[in-house]
Formats: sequence, structure tokens, C-alpha cells
Amino acid sequence: MTPPRAPKVFTGTHGPEEGAGTGTPWPDDVPPDQDDTWYPLREDPWRARRMEYVIACFWGITALCGVGLMVFYWNGGQTQVEGALMAGALGSLGAGMVLWARYLLPGHDVTASRGHHVSDPRDRAAVVESLSRGTDAMMSRRGFLVKKVLVPVGGIFGLALIWPLASLGPRPGRALYHTKWYPYARLVTEDGRAIRVDDIMVDGILTVFPEGYIDDASSAAVVLNIGDRQIQARQGQGGFEVVSGADGIVCFSKICTHAGCAVSLFNVISMQLICPCHQSTFNILQDCKPVFGPASRPLPQLPLGVRADGYLVALSDFVEPVGPGFWNRSGD
Amino acid sequence: MRSLDQPGMNQALSTGRRGPLANSGRSALAGPAALVGVVLAFFALLSWSGQAPAQTQETRAGTRPAGTQLAALTAGQTLYALHCQSCHGTAAAGGRAPALLDVGPAAVDFFLSTGRMPLNSPTAEPVSHKPYFNGTQIAEIVAYINSLDVAHATPGPAKPVVVKACATETGTCPTLSEGNQLFLLNCAQCHDASGAGGLLSHGYVVPSLRQATPTEIAEAIRVGPRPMPNFGPGQLSNQEVSAIADYVSYISHTPGQGGLGIANFGPVPEGFVGIVFGLGALLVAARLIGNRG
Amino acid sequence: MTTPQERRAARKRSEREEMALDWVDDRLGSSRWLRLAMDKIFPDHWSFMVGEIAMYCFLILLVTGVYLALFYTPSSALVVYHGPYKPLDGQSLTQAYESVINLSFSVRAGLLMRQAHHWAANIFMAAIAFHMCRIFFTGAFRRPREANWALGVTLLLVAMLEGFSGYSLPDDLLSGSGLRVVFSITQSIPFVGTWASFDLFGGPFPGSGAFLERLFLIHEFLFPAVLTGLLGGHLAILWHQKHTDFAGPGKTERNIVGSRLWPQYAVKSTALLTFVAAVIFALGGLVQINPIWIYGPYTAARASAGTQPDWYVGWLDGSLRLWPHWEFRSLGHEIANPFFPGILLPGLVFAVIYAWPWIDKRLFGDYGEHNLLDRPRDKPLRTALGVAALVFFADLTLASASDIIGNNLQMSFELLIEILQYGAIIGPIVGGFVAYRACLALQSSGAHPVQRPVGGVIMRDRRGGYHTVAASHNGHDNGRAEGRADGHSDAHNDVLGRTGETVLERVSDGGRVPGD
Repeated sequence: MTPPRAPKVFTGTHGPEEGAGTGTPWPDDVPPDQDDTWYPLREDPWRARRMEYVIACFWGITALCGVGLMVFYWNGGQTQVEGALMAGALGSLGAGMVLWARYLLPGHDVTASRGHHVSDPRDRAAVVESLSRGTDAMMSRRGFLVKKVLVPVGGIFGLALIWPLASLGPRPGRALYHTKWYPYARLVTEDGRAIRVDDIMVDGILTVFPEGYIDDASSAAVVLNIGDRQIQARQGQGGFEVVSGADGIVCFSKICTHAGCAVSLFNVISMQLICPCHQSTFNILQDCKPVFGPASRPLPQLPLGVRADGYLVALSDFVEPVGPGFWNRSGD
Repeated sequence: MRSLDQPGMNQALSTGRRGPLANSGRSALAGPAALVGVVLAFFALLSWSGQAPAQTQETRAGTRPAGTQLAALTAGQTLYALHCQSCHGTAAAGGRAPALLDVGPAAVDFFLSTGRMPLNSPTAEPVSHKPYFNGTQIAEIVAYINSLDVAHATPGPAKPVVVKACATETGTCPTLSEGNQLFLLNCAQCHDASGAGGLLSHGYVVPSLRQATPTEIAEAIRVGPRPMPNFGPGQLSNQEVSAIADYVSYISHTPGQGGLGIANFGPVPEGFVGIVFGLGALLVAARLIGNRG
Repeated sequence: MTTPQERRAARKRSEREEMALDWVDDRLGSSRWLRLAMDKIFPDHWSFMVGEIAMYCFLILLVTGVYLALFYTPSSALVVYHGPYKPLDGQSLTQAYESVINLSFSVRAGLLMRQAHHWAANIFMAAIAFHMCRIFFTGAFRRPREANWALGVTLLLVAMLEGFSGYSLPDDLLSGSGLRVVFSITQSIPFVGTWASFDLFGGPFPGSGAFLERLFLIHEFLFPAVLTGLLGGHLAILWHQKHTDFAGPGKTERNIVGSRLWPQYAVKSTALLTFVAAVIFALGGLVQINPIWIYGPYTAARASAGTQPDWYVGWLDGSLRLWPHWEFRSLGHEIANPFFPGILLPGLVFAVIYAWPWIDKRLFGDYGEHNLLDRPRDKPLRTALGVAALVFFADLTLASASDIIGNNLQMSFELLIEILQYGAIIGPIVGGFVAYRACLALQSSGAHPVQRPVGGVIMRDRRGGYHTVAASHNGHDNGRAEGRADGHSDAHNDVLGRTGETVLERVSDGGRVPGD
């Protein structure tokens, strides 16, 4: 029969070095007599019992919130109530635990030695010896095999191993140079309705696509009626607008030449198109030249024509690549 | 201060061509009223385009005012003379401010109902405001200016009447979906997907739509109060305009399903709340758990 | 005083504990390690808990993330929506978007979990940033903790990418615009940009049908695995080297003072976990975040005002807005504008951040080991540079909100962006200078920058003047109210010896009566 054991009370033998065996010598920067079982309410059992009741109340709130959660969930759930109940449950749980640790559990303000996080010098010498046992042999004859053969081979074969990354996507080819606009494509809205020349009033703006390619990402364009204002066209884009009576219909690519967002804000007073992403601002009457913000190239203009039955058509694709720049994009 | 720059729908008129009533005093209006009425009726017949919208009904542009409305016309004329004439000129022919002769009833109603007009000073920028006039007064001024709308090739948009398409919250509501798509394509880039507003170049603030009535929204779409572009009937049918107004009304009045909307501007206020209130609360918790200094 | 019953119960429990631990040791020989673990000491300063806050946010992200993954469909195939949210009824949506709408409106507690996940991500990044600043300003990255600093910066980087990929999964208008910008930035890389962007997205923007699946894999499997691995390494190094601590009475470079892991720290840390979860779920239920039903599905022709990324990517978006419109074209090639603010600038920033421990060594000529922390005022140059960096990032983050700020303050974005462009240069200089002077002033006054000083020492000289005695050595404790019994003796002896003045009386000493 084992003798009855007294409750264990340690004083100061939990040092010296964290995790060291109990025979390790005592360092001099650790106080030898710290009572590791002390907690603030240890000598005051009445207040300790009261504190336990307080903690129990907090944890009771946790249980109540839990029940509430189950009830609300069963009855269809409601996001705000569920969030509040979760917060209540968890917060009370935590509050109880903090009180428990602070007042009823030991382990506050304990000191121990940091010990040594580096190894003993003998171990360090031994590991060097173990390593060089191998490397001395591997690097024989001035490391011919490793330096002159293995490293270049590794480079070449490594390249071969990552080569299939190129199959993650198709070759760009000419994809960035063309959109889906084709000669005599009618301008259609997102619903597929073709636009006539008199559909847009002066100071109106409409998003259009080439017929048959609605929602194509690179082909989105905005068509504007600038009334009888004049556009100073850039070289190579003269005469792209359609003038019909007091209406002047122009069409620009909607893809911002900075980072590709849809340029769609229209300031009628200053006759500017603005991109919401980084505030690139384009002067419409200067052929959408960028005048503010990070864009540095104007929005390409689509050459427009009018069919006999009044429908607006594109005479061809844009004459330059739309959207943001890239390495091979030839200069304007 | 931004200078007012609203040349109006017909730029030729802003150079100061004045209508036939320009040199008449106010009291002389009663005389030619009958003549004006006949001319208006003639042009009403000419301009009647047969658009019979399913959802949005419009008062006809240039309708001859009925006899019982003559009193309203006079009241409107008085109000106009007191509050508008100093800038917009006698008989709405223009002056420091653009002529109102062919802007149409929708524009007049919009600017007055949203309190953008009258301005405190001629160079102030029109911003949304508590309206200066009550509904009756606004209707009187609209009727008066409408009555001055002599022969012009393109009369401005008439005041739209938006009929709420989804009467109840149950069941499907196809126009709400249509409105959602049209709003996101045509309006969200300036007004924000939630209707919270935005910013144009040159400091023009795009207003929030959350307090706007469906009628105001429909009017703004048709009128295009600068710097906003306009969307004419060839671009958006009356039904589509009504759908947009309906949708905006829906998102403005539906409480956020996820909780507090915090200004509905997206990740910016969300990040602010996350850092200040989220991490802030947790730093307080850490302070309570840990020790200081 | 214990009763016989309590003593018997304690004895029985002790025997059961011994049996259990013996069972484990018989198989694993783990007693020494377990004892090390249970006795391990963690310093108690509240600012040391912020890394833990980040860790618990990550834990909650994992748990809520698994839940979300059970409902998400990573597919761009189109499906017609018929569900409770009427404005989307009858529309053709991608399955990805539709699955998230479905989770938000048709699954009980789905919206709560979604929003909790997103709020947790925001708080996670905020905690990482705060934690990193704490490490920086207290010099905790110094030897032997340089490797942990590098691990931590990698964690920051991967966490940022994880967050970005996560909120791009629902394929809504806001996040889709962000993906468009990422495509353009990748495309702008010289030589390989077009190939790289086509490879990343599987084709020209918006990428192939498989792109969302790729993004899902990266966000749900690859990056969480990397984060877990890095976090494990980060904690393992911390565990082995032990945590640093502020200087104070009884603390030296060779000892460690704090709470034992068992039971004190374990319980307190679990409490912190519950608080983190409580805040996350409170926000997740009560405050709306990322309402994708308002933004609508992504198409390249649409855009919304207020297009910003989540706050922790805001500095990148702001740098794109602030960077002047320079592009370089010659010989048929061009380096497009987004390359500089989108690739070069963050590359430079992270290179400096990674290299900081070695820059710091050079700067202060200090190659030694440190287990005691600096107070920020003790290294004014480092603090000034850190404050300058923070002002720089704040300026860039503000720039990303330029249209919203302009809308609220009735300012034009032209003026705002110009101010912020100059501010990005001038602000850090001014901020750094002010911080430097503040550090010097705090050094000489010995006061706590925020708290009312408790336990300062005021001396009165023969001529009757009062002097606050400077806290001139590292070990001075500014006086915890519930401090150690031997709170001030070291400081006083040192100070008295150093001033060399004949002292008439000690007027105030930590609030105690003079002559005590």
C-alpha cells in the first residue's frame, strides 16, 4: 500500500533553467524562494468562494446565450441576433476565464533562468566534425563533381522541371492587339438592342458592344453624343465620329489605358471621362487625351458609320491596342 | 466658387434671344394667354408621339393649360417673378442664368423639388437642399414655365410619374431585377453601387441617392442635370427608367441584411471599423488580461 | 485550511494525474519536455499578446473558412438565379457568385459565417501590422531573432495575398475590378509580362473558366498550408529562444519573468481566444461587410464608384493613384505605368523590411544578443524611421480612398491627390523628425508618454528648486501600481549617486510618504 501523499508545494525548485533536469546547478539571477502555488485569493477562502460564484455567473451567461442560439437557429435564424449571442457567449466565457486566472490560479510573476538557447561548445565542434566527414569526401579533387558538374546540371534540370508552368495559359499571340469589333458590326447594348444614330440625346452616354459579342471584356465601348462640339482628333483617328444634324456621335474604348477598369464616369460640364479605379481623367474633346491621373495614353476611338437604316456601325476594329500597356506594344 | 455653367438644352438660346413676351410686363400676360394656348395646343398635337408606357405615365409636354388652372398660372408667374426672374430673365428667356424655355417640366420640377434652385447667389453650385417651396408652389411654377414653352423643335422631357412596380415584398418582381442591371451598368460608376454617391473631376460631388424620391430619380435620368449626362427615351424606355427608380428606392429603404451599413461606401469604412473597433476592442482586452509597463 | 474530504479528493486526483503522465512517458519518454512546456514562462506585457491575437484570428479564419468552402462553388459556369434576393432574380450569374449569394440568404447563419470570416481577415491583418510595429519599435528583431523577423514578414506577405485571393472568390463587381488591376500590373512587367499574366489567369482577361478554381485552390489549400507551416516555424523559434521582455526591476538579459504556461498562461490565452472570437462574431453579425448582392456580378463593362481593395492592400492601390503618369517607350517596347507602383515599389518596400535587422545592426553598430527590449525612446533614430514609414503607408492608404474622402469633405480629387503626392515625401520627413524630438524629450523627462507618471522621483535642491530626476538607465521602472516589493530601490541608488547634488529632501517617491 502506497503511503498517503501530502499535497505538493514547491518553493523555488522550478528554476533553475527552464526544462533542465532537477539536478542542474542554481543560477544566481533567479530568486531561490518564490512560492509557485501562490494566487491572490489563496489566503482568503471567503472571497475566493465569492469569486467562484461570479465566474459561475459569467459562464452561466455563456450557457444561456448558447441556448438562445439554438432557439433562434431552430426558428430560422437572424444574422444580427446570432452575432450578438455568439459575442455574448464567448465574451462571458473569456471574462470568467480571466477572473479565474487572475485571482484563483497560481503562476503569476514567476522568474526562471533563460538558460542557453545555443548548444554546448563541445556539441558545436562535434556537429562540424560530422558534417565535414561528408563534405570532405564530397568535395574531393577541389569539388569537381559538385561545383563543376552537379550545379550546372541542377540548373538545367531545374529549368526543365518548371518548364510546364508555361502551360498554365495560352500564348498571348496577338490577343492583346485586337478586340472583337469587326467591320460593319452594329453597336448593341448589353441587352442586345442595336443603337440607331438618333437614339442618344445630346450629353448622353451609353455602353455598347459589337453585335454577337456582348459582354466581351476587351470590346466594351462607350458611345457619346457631344452635340455640335468639335473633337480634335489624333493622327490616324480623324473622321471617326458621325455627325447627324445637331448630334455628334463618338465612340471610345471603355477599357482604361492605365489598369483596365471600365472608364464610365462622364462629367458633362468639363466633357471628361473619368475612371473610378485610380481617377484617370480623359478630355473627350481632345480625343480622350489623359489630363489627370496615372493614365498616360488616350482611350482609342472607334471609327463609326451609319447604315442606311439608321443603325450605328463600326467601320473596323480600333486602330491601336485597347487597355493597359505591355512590353511589346508598339509606340503610338 | 464654381461658376454656373448650364447652357441648357439649346445652346443657341443662351446667347440671349428673347421670346415674344420679353418686353411685356407681367400684367400683359393675361391678354396673349389665349393666343399662347392655341399655339400650345397645335404643337401638342404635333409632338404627341404615341408613347404609351406601361409603367411610367407622363404629363404631355406643351399641353394647353385648362381654364381652371389660370389661377395657378398667375400664382406661378408671381413666384417666378419674385424668385427666379432676376437670373433667368423675364418669361424665362435667360439672363445671367440659362433660359428655361425648353428645358421641360421635368427639369423645373427636379431642380425645385430637390432644393437645388433657387440659388442663394448666382455663382453658387446647385446642390441638393431642403426645398424652398412646397408642392403646390412647385406645381404652380412648373405650370407657368410650361405655359411659356413656345414652339421649339425639341421640348424638354415632361414630368414622369413613376408607378411602383412591386407593390408587396412577396413574390417575384421582374422590374427590380431589370432595375438592378440597368442601375449597375449606367449609374453605379458615379453614384456607387449602393447609391451612396461619389466624386467627379473638377470637384463635382456626386450626391447620394438615399433620400431621393422615385420621381426625382426618374426626372434626373431624363433631364441630366449637369454635370450628370442624360438618358433619353431612345436609350432607356419609360419602363426602364421606372425600374431603375424602383430599384434605387428598394436599396435605399431596405435595411442591410448583414447589419449596420457604415456609410455603404465599401472597404474603406469597413477597414476603418475593423481596425479601430475590432482591433481596438481586442487591444483593450489585451490590456485587461496582461500587465502594463 | 482544508477539510479531510478535500485532502482525500486532492490525493485521488494527484494519483490519477501521475498514472496518466506515467502512461505517456512509458511510450514517449516525454516527461522532461512536458515539464519544460508546463513550466514555461511567458512575459506578461499586454503588447506581447497582439501576435497571439493574430494567431487566434487565423484559427477562426481556418474554422469559418472550412464552413464557407463547404458551400462555395469555384466555377464560372452560368446559372440562372431564383432565390430570396429579388433584385437578382432571373439573372444569369456565375456559379461562384450564385453560391455565395445562396450562402448569404438561403443558409441559416451563412451570412454570419461569411461576414465573420471577412471581419476576421481584416482584424488579422491589423493585428499583424500592430504586432510587426511592436517588434520593430522595441527592437525585438535583434539577434538571435532575425530569422523570426524574416518568417514574420513572409507571414505578412502571404496573409495579404491570402486575403486578396479570398475576397476575389465571390466574383463580384468590386473584387473583379481588383483582379483586373492585378492582371494589368502583371502584364506591365517587362519582357515576361504578357506571358505571366496569361499564365496566371489562363488567358486574356477575365481568364479561362478554370481561373476561379485556381484561385480557390490557392486560397483554400496552398496559402493556408504555407501560413500554417510558417506560423509553426515562427512559434517554434519563439518557443526555443523564449520571448523577450521589457527591462524592469529584477529582470536581466539572462532571466525571464512572467506567467507560467500551466495554468496561468494557458487559461489567459484561451480567454484571449474567446475575446477574439467574440469581437469577430459581434462584428460578423452586427456590421455589414462586403455586401456582394449590392455590387452585383462582375462584368468588364461595369464599374462602381468607391472601388477600393480591402484596407491592407490600400497602400498598393493608393500608390497606383499617386504615381505620376510616366511610361517609357522606345524601340517598339514599353514599360507600362503600373509596373512602377505595382511591382517596383512593393518590391523595394519588402526588401527593406526583410533586411531591417541587418540594417539596424549597421546603423547602431550593435551586433550583440538582446533579450531585453528597447523602449522606443531609447532608439530615437529607429523610432523616427519607423514613424516615417508608417506615415508613408498612411499617406498611400489615404490616397486609395481619395474619391470617398473628396465626397465627404467636398474636395476635388485633383487637389487631394496632389496633396497626398507631396505628402508622401514631406509627411515621412516631418513625422520622423517629430518622432525623433519626442523620443529625446521623453528620454530626459522619464515620463510615460501616455500614462500619468506613477512613482516618479522629485528632488529638491538647496536653493529650493524642484527637479524631476531623469530615468537614465535601462532598468528604471516607471512604477507599476501593483509592482514588486523591491520596486524602486535600484533606481534610487543609481540616481542619488549620479546627480551628485546635496539633496535636502525627497519630496515625492512613488506616492509614498517622504522619509519612508
